[in-house]
Amino acid sequence: MSGMVVGGWGYVWTAYALTAGALLIYGVTLITRLREEASRSKMEAKRQ
Amino acid sequence: MDYGNNRFPRTPYILIAIGVALFLTGSYFGLFVAPPERYMGEVQRIMYVHVPTAWNALLAITFALVCAIIFLFKGEFKWDARLEASIEVGCLLAFLLCCQGAIWAKPTWGVWWDWDPRLTTTAVLLFAFLGILTLRKFVDDPVKRGVWSSVATIIAYVDVPIVYFSVRWWNSLHQLQSSPETVSSQFYIPLRVNAFAILFLMTGFIMLRARLASLRLAQEVAPPPMLAEEVGETA
Repeated sequence: MSGMVVGGWGYVWTAYALTAGALLIYGVTLITRLREEASRSKMEAKRQ
Repeated sequence: MDYGNNRFPRTPYILIAIGVALFLTGSYFGLFVAPPERYMGEVQRIMYVHVPTAWNALLAITFALVCAIIFLFKGEFKWDARLEASIEVGCLLAFLLCCQGAIWAKPTWGVWWDWDPRLTTTAVLLFAFLGILTLRKFVDDPVKRGVWSSVATIIAYVDVPIVYFSVRWWNSLHQLQSSPETVSSQFYIPLRVNAFAILFLMTGFIMLRARLASLRLAQEVAPPPMLAEEVGETA
């Protein structure tokens, strides 16, 4: 017995996928929110 | 009006693109090039995303502290927008940190979560800053919102050094901080590449989020359109 944790690739892939997925989703929603807000503020500026 | 957060419109997108390229490179090295660690085996590869996330979460929160102090002294709303942005990105990273930590804890400690000092203080940090974001939603006056959230940020920041030193101050399941002298280059190359990847992504996100906060603020403080124009439009 070496005392080494055996296997565990599933945990590794989950951690990487969670990190990449969360950063990707946040980035996409952030850009979407920013575009919506920018077009709204342009409309407001035109209205005024 | 952009409150000074739209001076370099393309910069955040460039930073995010660099961050993505570095993250792919760092993850490739972390998953396929670095050898398994002697005791933790393959599971230790989680370190290459977990530790950079931790560093950058604390960095984002530290930037929020800087923004809070500058806002209180200068009263410029661009700093309030940057404060909101850095807290939101800091919370995202702190949340990821807790999830990655739980995934690493299960195969090594045998449990997903333990009320260990490091884990508990990190959870306190996450909920404290989520509370500040919630507070901002409930305050309509931009000046009061800025001042209150700045003061709350300064108070909540007290937890950051506690998080960092918790593994030294108390008996903790969590390991102590490593240094380049104690880590082989095969381990710290993917660690550093991913640290820069998340730093670039975090900076790009904070810049974009600050721009969003500035746009919202500009609409909030804009004077209402003239009544006559309203009548003219409806006619």
